Amino acid sequence: MIRFFSFLIRISSFLGKELTEIFRQPKLILTLVLGPFLIMFLFGLASPSQGRTLRTTFVVTDPNSFKEQIDSFATSFSAVLVDYVIESDKEKALAALAHDRTDMVIVVPDVPLETIQNNQQAEFLIYHNEIDPFQIGYIHSVAQVYIEEINRQFLQSVVEQEQEDSAPLQTNMETAIVKMQTLRGAIPAGDVNTAKQAADLEKDLTNLNEKLTTFRTLGADILVRPFSAKISGLSDVQLTVIGFFAPAVIVLLLQHFSITFASLSIVRETRSGIMELFKVAPITAFETLVGKYISYLFFEIILAGIVTALAVWLLKIPILGPLQDYALAVVVLLFTSLGLGFLISLISETDTQAVQYSMLLLLASIFFSGFFLDLRLMKEPITFLAWSLPATYGIRMLQNIMLRGSSVPQLVFLGIASIGIVLFLIDWLLLRKKMESQYS
Amino acid sequence: MKNNKLAGNIVETQGLTKTFGEYIAVQSLNMQVPRGTIFGFVGPSGCGKTTTVRLLTGIYKPTSGSLSVLGKNPVDFSKLDRGKIGYLIQQFVLYPDLTVWENLNFTASFYGVGIFRGKHLNKLLDFVELSGDKNKLARDLSGGMKRRLSLAATLVHNPELLFLDEPTAGIDPILRRKFWDYFKELQAEGHTLFITTQYVSEAAFCDLVGVMYGGRLLMIETPDGLRRKAYGGDVIGIRTNEEIRSEHRQQLEGLPFVRGKVKIISDQEVEVTVDAASTAVAMLLEWSQAQKLTVEMMEQKSPPFDDVFVRIIEKEIAND
Repeated sequence: MIRFFSFLIRISSFLGKELTEIFRQPKLILTLVLGPFLIMFLFGLASPSQGRTLRTTFVVTDPNSFKEQIDSFATSFSAVLVDYVIESDKEKALAALAHDRTDMVIVVPDVPLETIQNNQQAEFLIYHNEIDPFQIGYIHSVAQVYIEEINRQFLQSVVEQEQEDSAPLQTNMETAIVKMQTLRGAIPAGDVNTAKQAADLEKDLTNLNEKLTTFRTLGADILVRPFSAKISGLSDVQLTVIGFFAPAVIVLLLQHFSITFASLSIVRETRSGIMELFKVAPITAFETLVGKYISYLFFEIILAGIVTALAVWLLKIPILGPLQDYALAVVVLLFTSLGLGFLISLISETDTQAVQYSMLLLLASIFFSGFFLDLRLMKEPITFLAWSLPATYGIRMLQNIMLRGSSVPQLVFLGIASIGIVLFLIDWLLLRKKMESQYS
Repeated sequence: MKNNKLAGNIVETQGLTKTFGEYIAVQSLNMQVPRGTIFGFVGPSGCGKTTTVRLLTGIYKPTSGSLSVLGKNPVDFSKLDRGKIGYLIQQFVLYPDLTVWENLNFTASFYGVGIFRGKHLNKLLDFVELSGDKNKLARDLSGGMKRRLSLAATLVHNPELLFLDEPTAGIDPILRRKFWDYFKELQAEGHTLFITTQYVSEAAFCDLVGVMYGGRLLMIETPDGLRRKAYGGDVIGIRTNEEIRSEHRQQLEGLPFVRGKVKIISDQEVEVTVDAASTAVAMLLEWSQAQKLTVEMMEQKSPPFDDVFVRIIEKEIAND
């Protein structure tokens, strides 16, 4: 019995100690419980309640001739096609697409009726600048629905036109029948007037015959689907799902590495007590921080090189853009992520807390950086959260460089660099407060 | 560093006080530390020794009072001034995953020691007898080796003034003695050492000793002066062949140069406290002859510093 009680007492020693230690860290418990919940809650708020809208540019040679039809069509598709504009210059429209000022360019065929009458489908050329396979699929679906609607509208208008056209034809037919009857009676007389009527009848019948010929010579598929769409992306690369996600995965990995390493760096020094030595020594917070940035950047750049090499050689992910732009994008991503990591390190009281904050950031990055849900589908207030994460900028930059073959998008680069600099300054001030004596 | 013994005080404080809320950690500290000395700062745990060091190194801002270290208030310390200070923290704060050499190299870097420092660092490792362990990870070192590595790291930039906060805490007596040998060597090279310790016996190695108790500096004395202060003068032991009777003791206590009561050691041996041993011995011999007492032994006693310290504290408590 005594041994059993001793056994219980020994267990209770750890029970008490572990619980006390845990409850001594209320901030950690709060982040453990509320952090993931908050992320899920925000993600719920960010999720779209309807499909993505597409800013559309119509290209027609003569805008005035098609304006009415385009307006009517765009109105009936207002749930998807928004901010539509009509443009006569195709190159200008494609440039707008490349610069993300429009989402889709629809080039309307020049002479659709003549083309159809020549027994050919009138082809709408649809351009997009998507690399995400899911978004490309979405554009294909929209284009399909769009063309079906045009075909339906065209068929309707043709049928209405034909009904209208067939009215005089029917009158002509009736007249021809009467004339035929008269002609039959007048044949024995053989007068000139009757001969003229016979000539008119012949003309009407010939006309009717021609229309019938046209109708009969039209292919059934052209008749049913007079219009078709050819959809092209600005990038010629055909991406697999892995190919599309690879840049985002690289970004998330690099951000997570940087944040994790940096977040443990200063908190450990604070806990060990060496910070007291720094306070007395002639080293400044600025020198310390710059030294730490350089060392981690050096290490992370090597890591980034390895990850990139693996992606390129093993997964066959292309880098279509300039390599120096890729390097620049990676360095600015690492710089900003390190800033975030050091910030975590400066505000954390323990290693566990720092690791927990890093994990929460990874979770937030997966949900809000555009990796999981396209940023264009997120609701407005949450996009602010998305644009505060280095990964959001990193994914944009690397996708553009690797998959689109473009250079570093300037605005995105400026955005992440600004965040990086602001984080550096905040880290510097916090470290100064922590490291330098109370006199400072 | 040699021949750097300039005259004057390297540390001076006047009414230096530090409070944390209601708690008074250091109260009205008045102190002067002459350049080139070993200044021992002795007192029990929690008496304000580390707080004082933190005030002197500029980590803490005083609540009131003034201080001057290296002729400046720490508020005005430039990088150059900071480079003249070495600070050994109580606990081991270097990096456990770096080797002895890497830790030393790191410390040298952040003190801005030039890149051609290999020879200097090796010399330091020789000094603390860690040359054979330079490639060992710090986490694999024993407690004593860690203290020696910390000491080497404190000396890496050859500082003029060393603040060593309990450098001998938790290490064995042999190593403690060795540490004091190191300190004496450093003093000989011209360094000034401000050393806190809770081992009262280490006061004997210092030139000057400050006794702290309850946040107050009770006194600054030489080790001998400390004894005199504790006992009210020098202590002289007298052993005779005859019994020292109570009338003898009363006579002794009545002598003008004898302070306080005579302490009985045995029937034939007593201890008396006198103003100055140098003059009192001759007079005591005269008195013994007059009393027909044959003196077998008469010598100045050096009471252990533990006893000295206890006496000082007891006096302080009694005064309070």
